[in-house]
Amino acid sequence: MADQVYFEDLSVGQELPPIKIAPDKQQLVKFAAGSGDFNPLHFDENFPLLKPMGLTENIVHGRFKYAQVGRLVFALAGYKGRVKKFGVSYRGMDMLNKEITAGGVVTAKRQEGGENLVDLDVWTMDVEGKKTTPGTATVALPSRR
Amino acid sequence: MAQVHFEDVKEGDEIPQLKKNCSTQQLVLWAAGSGDFYQIHYDKDFAQATGLKGLIVHGALKNAFLGQLLHDWIGEAGQVRRFGCSYRGMDEPNQDILCRGVVTKKYSEGGKHFVELDVWTEKPDGKKTSPGTALVTLPSKN
Amino acid sequence: MADEFEITDEMRAQIGVDSEPWTYEVTTTSVRMYARGIGTEDPIHYDVDFAKSQGFRSIVAPLGYLGTPVYLPGQNDPTFGFPRRAGGPRLNIPMKGLLDGGTETEYLDVICAGDVLVETSHLADLKLRDSARGKMLFITNESVYKNKETGQVVAKQRLTSIHY
Repeated sequence: MADQVYFEDLSVGQELPPIKIAPDKQQLVKFAAGSGDFNPLHFDENFPLLKPMGLTENIVHGRFKYAQVGRLVFALAGYKGRVKKFGVSYRGMDMLNKEITAGGVVTAKRQEGGENLVDLDVWTMDVEGKKTTPGTATVALPSRR
Repeated sequence: MAQVHFEDVKEGDEIPQLKKNCSTQQLVLWAAGSGDFYQIHYDKDFAQATGLKGLIVHGALKNAFLGQLLHDWIGEAGQVRRFGCSYRGMDEPNQDILCRGVVTKKYSEGGKHFVELDVWTEKPDGKKTSPGTALVTLPSKN
Repeated sequence: MADEFEITDEMRAQIGVDSEPWTYEVTTTSVRMYARGIGTEDPIHYDVDFAKSQGFRSIVAPLGYLGTPVYLPGQNDPTFGFPRRAGGPRLNIPMKGLLDGGTETEYLDVICAGDVLVETSHLADLKLRDSARGKMLFITNESVYKNKETGQVVAKQRLTSIHY
């Protein structure tokens, strides 16, 4: 497990170490199992809605991408920090077997309600560099003081 | 269904059939419930790369269907003591799987009333794909 | 028809009306299955003793876990798992297409296995937009999760769906 990050360790403009994952069909089936979303859009190549949507491959669940951003900010918070809020919009589709990169950048540091808060822009990006899942997050971090 | 009793049953009787037909979504639900994520049950490319014609139904799911067949028949007062089957033939999604059972023996022992059965799953052409046996106890009317 | 769809006052009147509550039991098995599903191997989500050694009540549900359905036959949507319940909005949506628009979660506490949460939801927003695909209806629902034992709010979620 990585070392705990402290409020003083971060600066505005700092990028987080990214998390990469290329979900194969097995991963999407495991996600269906874990999340309870059994929409065949994500694992059945014969699903009738694929063609009308202009798709030749199954697509990744939006919530799977949300969870990758979740992993990113959870790792930043560490066990002593707390993720206060994180949210994304699903602007583009991601395909089966294509690498997804979850990334983030610090946009502000502030104190509120006795907590040391870090605001971030967060996203998942596809292999072409398109941010298909843009969003924001706020993380509370412990202080060294 | 009304509770079945030991006296209602005789050797050679067939128990009520159970028809199943698994969608690919059902196979994924089984993977979720059982924790078996082997790709031959939902990833056609993977299945074909292992030499299969296409997706196949998990053996353990057919075993579970036979379990349901027995559970539905014995009612609240019956008990399944033992059941098992061999996965001899493959079943595919979107095709009927018929679960059937026939009483082979009945006897009383130690105050309990036992019924032995042959159970199996069958394809639409009648081919038995998962032959097996079961031992259940049933309540007596006395 | 979908192209003539308009948001009516009747629909807008449903904004803010709370649904019946729904209970979510956060279990070790469901937390582990969700963690496995998103590809994380952090022991805080799998190992109860480890999680306790780090000061948590039990294993921590990964972020994004909230909303994983507790499925009861006849009471949940069979594919997506969301509970159909009395109260809450009834919108007649003619559009056949459905896409996820966005997810936002606010945490007031950590969610751990063993927690029992009670959730109510209400319609928060309705927006109609014209696009190349025709009319697109954005529906935002807000859910509030409370710890059943303490009554404290532990999280809030805003979920947006796009109907086209």
